[in-house]
Amino acid sequence: MTDISPGDGEPKFSGSTSDFPTLLRRKGLLSESPSVGPGLSSISSKSQWTPTEATTILAFKFAGGVLVAGDRRATAGNTVVYDRADKVLEIDRYSIMAIAGVPATAWEMARVLEHSFQYFRRTQLQEMSVDGKVRALSKLLRDNFGFVMQGVGVVVPIFATYELGPNPAPRLYFYDAMGAQFEVAEYAASGSGSPAVRGILYHENNWGGKSLQKLREKEAVTVALRALDTAAEADTATGGVDRSGKIFPLIKIISRDGIMTLPDREIAALFKRTVA
Amino acid sequence: MIEEPYRWVEAVANRREYVETQLAPGSPIAAVSCRDGILFVTMGRTRQKLFEIYDRIAMGAIGHPGDIERLRMAAIELASTEGFTRSAADVSLRRLAYYSLSPVLKTAFEQIYGAPYLARMLFAEVEATSEADLFLRVEYDGAIATNGGSIAPTKQYFGVISGTRQSTEMMESYLAKEHQPDVTLVRAMKTALDAWSVGRLAVGEEGAKEIPSRDDIAKHRKEQSESVPIEAALLERNSRPPIRYRTLSEEEIKTLSCD
Repeated sequence: MTDISPGDGEPKFSGSTSDFPTLLRRKGLLSESPSVGPGLSSISSKSQWTPTEATTILAFKFAGGVLVAGDRRATAGNTVVYDRADKVLEIDRYSIMAIAGVPATAWEMARVLEHSFQYFRRTQLQEMSVDGKVRALSKLLRDNFGFVMQGVGVVVPIFATYELGPNPAPRLYFYDAMGAQFEVAEYAASGSGSPAVRGILYHENNWGGKSLQKLREKEAVTVALRALDTAAEADTATGGVDRSGKIFPLIKIISRDGIMTLPDREIAALFKRTVA
Repeated sequence: MIEEPYRWVEAVANRREYVETQLAPGSPIAAVSCRDGILFVTMGRTRQKLFEIYDRIAMGAIGHPGDIERLRMAAIELASTEGFTRSAADVSLRRLAYYSLSPVLKTAFEQIYGAPYLARMLFAEVEATSEADLFLRVEYDGAIATNGGSIAPTKQYFGVISGTRQSTEMMESYLAKEHQPDVTLVRAMKTALDAWSVGRLAVGEEGAKEIPSRDDIAKHRKEQSESVPIEAALLERNSRPPIRYRTLSEEEIKTLSCD
């Protein structure tokens, strides 16, 4: 049952409930993060529990919009937990959140975020601004920081979207675990394989013959595949391209027309021709 | 306190009369099933009357803007939290109306020292086939009328609300006669606009007592469409994204409604 009957308690102004996480907390549906303090990490290291983590995501702007890619592996310590993890998540028609870190927390964040944007549009009768969306994710990360300090639940996402309006342009951000957002002009990478990916992207952007911004779709996908393959070479937590299992990275492209997911067979064909 | 039951009944009856008077000038809203989904249509120059509630649920309302807003917020909150904790498929309009809205409206209406909600709402939920589409009219006192299912003798493929009972009934009998569930969007738009005219002509003391002739309806529609903007929204039946609600743009409405 709901609390809409008049006269019970304080009057409710529509603006006061426009924030979806606040609504969830009021209804007891979103758990509070524990206060910052010593947690699992202080327990003796023998009994330390290793959370499942998902690794290596990248995003960069190219001629057709923003490309967001992620490998498919989820690990816990040195165990491969899952080889078909989806780390590139569609939040709304134009926004993607790619996750590195603990999937349990990240997927829940993505779910809260997705509902927050819808909830805002439905209640306020207008789309949430790009800045508002970026802030919403930042706030979720900050609220999660108690878990991070306890050594569980670290999430370092990338957020990509397309700003419509008078000056349509792709927008790309990465975050740290505390929720600081950094807007990037060219590319972003996160997760355990990210040093290698950043190296590749930096090299491509500066000496690759064509800067990333000027790449066409096929070229951009090739760069993404090569970067993930390189990351997997040195980092066991990155799946890269599983040649025998035919598991390919997940690649999505955001343009003015919305989000497009590259079909596996297209990636496979391109991989065969330009990477393998 | 009013202790005698008779006085309470009298007070409630007075209150009903008061609410009805307040709602009477409301512009009618018609929602009809068609091949493409469920089309909501109304006309008016003052404020938005059609709203998105959840992925497959839309609402049209007449009444006091403050009360409509509170009910709209409550409906969105309920649907959103349900969709978040379970899944979008578990959000049901039936449950939303019967379990959540109706009891609250009834209580507010019968507690004669508090203010009642001055609102009449039309909800619709789009399904895979027009056969399964659900329309609910929710009244200020919590009463609910459906488009069929197990209770009504014949299933209807539309839902309407209007300021007065007479106007509502005339719109319903007009649509029962003229509307088919699997028509095109263009056809649905024309029928819904005609139904709006039928409803509008029946409002007021001098309102029409029976369905006007085809010519009168066409004439009224033509006059109105020149001065009053049309508001329309569509709950799409077969779209890839889960969110089915879409406000029709001015150009779209123009293309659909021109003869």
